[in-house]
Amino acid sequence: MLSEERIKLMTRMAAYEENEGKQYMAIGSYFRSDYMGKQVIHSVISATIAFLIVFGLYVYYHFDILMQDIYKLDLLGMGKKVLYYYAIFVAGYAILTYIVYSVRYNRARKSLRKYYSHLKQLLALYDLEGKSR
Amino acid sequence: MSSLLEIRDVLRDFYSKHEIYLLPFLKFCLAFLVIFTINLNLGASSKLSNMLVVLVVSLLCACLPINMLVVLSMIFTIVHFYEISLECAIAGGAVFLLMFLLYYRFSPRDALVVLLMPLFFGMKIPFVIPIVVGLLCPVTSAVAVGCGVIAYYVISYIKDNATLISSLEADNVIARFRYIVDGLMSNKGVFVVVVAFCATTIIVWLLRRLPVDYCWTIAIFTGSVMMVVILLLGGLNYDTNLTMGRIIVGTLVSILMAFVVQFFAFNVDYSRTEQVQFEDDEYYYYVKAIPKNTVSKSKRAVKKITSVL
Repeated sequence: MLSEERIKLMTRMAAYEENEGKQYMAIGSYFRSDYMGKQVIHSVISATIAFLIVFGLYVYYHFDILMQDIYKLDLLGMGKKVLYYYAIFVAGYAILTYIVYSVRYNRARKSLRKYYSHLKQLLALYDLEGKSR
Repeated sequence: MSSLLEIRDVLRDFYSKHEIYLLPFLKFCLAFLVIFTINLNLGASSKLSNMLVVLVVSLLCACLPINMLVVLSMIFTIVHFYEISLECAIAGGAVFLLMFLLYYRFSPRDALVVLLMPLFFGMKIPFVIPIVVGLLCPVTSAVAVGCGVIAYYVISYIKDNATLISSLEADNVIARFRYIVDGLMSNKGVFVVVVAFCATTIIVWLLRRLPVDYCWTIAIFTGSVMMVVILLLGGLNYDTNLTMGRIIVGTLVSILMAFVVQFFAFNVDYSRTEQVQFEDDEYYYYVKAIPKNTVSKSKRAVKKITSVL
């Protein structure tokens, strides 16, 4: 026999699986450390490319001056300075990524906990129906 | 009011019934509008301006996720820049790539905001975007609003200076590049608009979450007033390309549009607010429940009158 309560619960769960649940389930399949590690590595790569673009633009902008003074420049000191800026930029971006994705991971776990409780509820309804037969 | 609510329900029903056809159609329309506007404004590449290309790409976008439209629009813009000069393509491409790398990793869904911002600037009502984004999106979308403003000003600067850039000596590529970068960086008005729009988005978002009656209306008005004040004060010191009349009229139109959005997204009846209080084993609950405005569909009864002569 059809159970209205069970159908309502299943519909709600199906809608969840189709929409926000899809994203949260993908996050929930990771351990926290693995998920955060993956996101931080992606961010370090993105930040490195972004820094290279900005550095490339800077060099292109000052190209004639750099070429003119190439023998007078303290290349080692300049390299150290660039690395220093790179480290600050990447570290800042990685920390921001850690905060954002840590909030997202917690939100996903919380939402999935609710979904699992609905699953348990559904199982209980099936059990109840089985006993009543 | 009830007839408006009925129209809203009819529209909702129509959309939910035909969503499978309507969504690709709307995507097609948006893609066509965006690419057509890019071609109309920049129009440097005759190959991309061909209507057949526009139609084919728009059809493609109808089947692809919306973010692909953003990527294709960027490609179209960069190709047009390239036709003006290589340096324009490098500068414009770098700005778009930096946005893509640093922000869209966090929030790819907001890419649409960046796409719509130049479009609404073209329609002279960019002020609606920060208000509506503040009403409907999370607070992080304020960054997307800022990126959209920057994207518009980059496109606008290159479009306005295309002839001058092309006429600069072709052999001195660095001077050309420097001219473009200096032009983009020296326009402090952009930062005024970015600050005004981002602040509006954040204020609207903060206010519409307050547990007070008419919070959406309060958010729309406060956000709009704040935006006008920042733009006018900023406009006194820097060139924002926005005149006082345009700001005020545009904001008034934006307020109207924000109310239309409110009508569809948050239509509640405060006169029937209920305050309830209950408890369970762990908590006391103080709940304020505000009913949504709904109308029961009028049923048309067909009465057959037959008369025997």
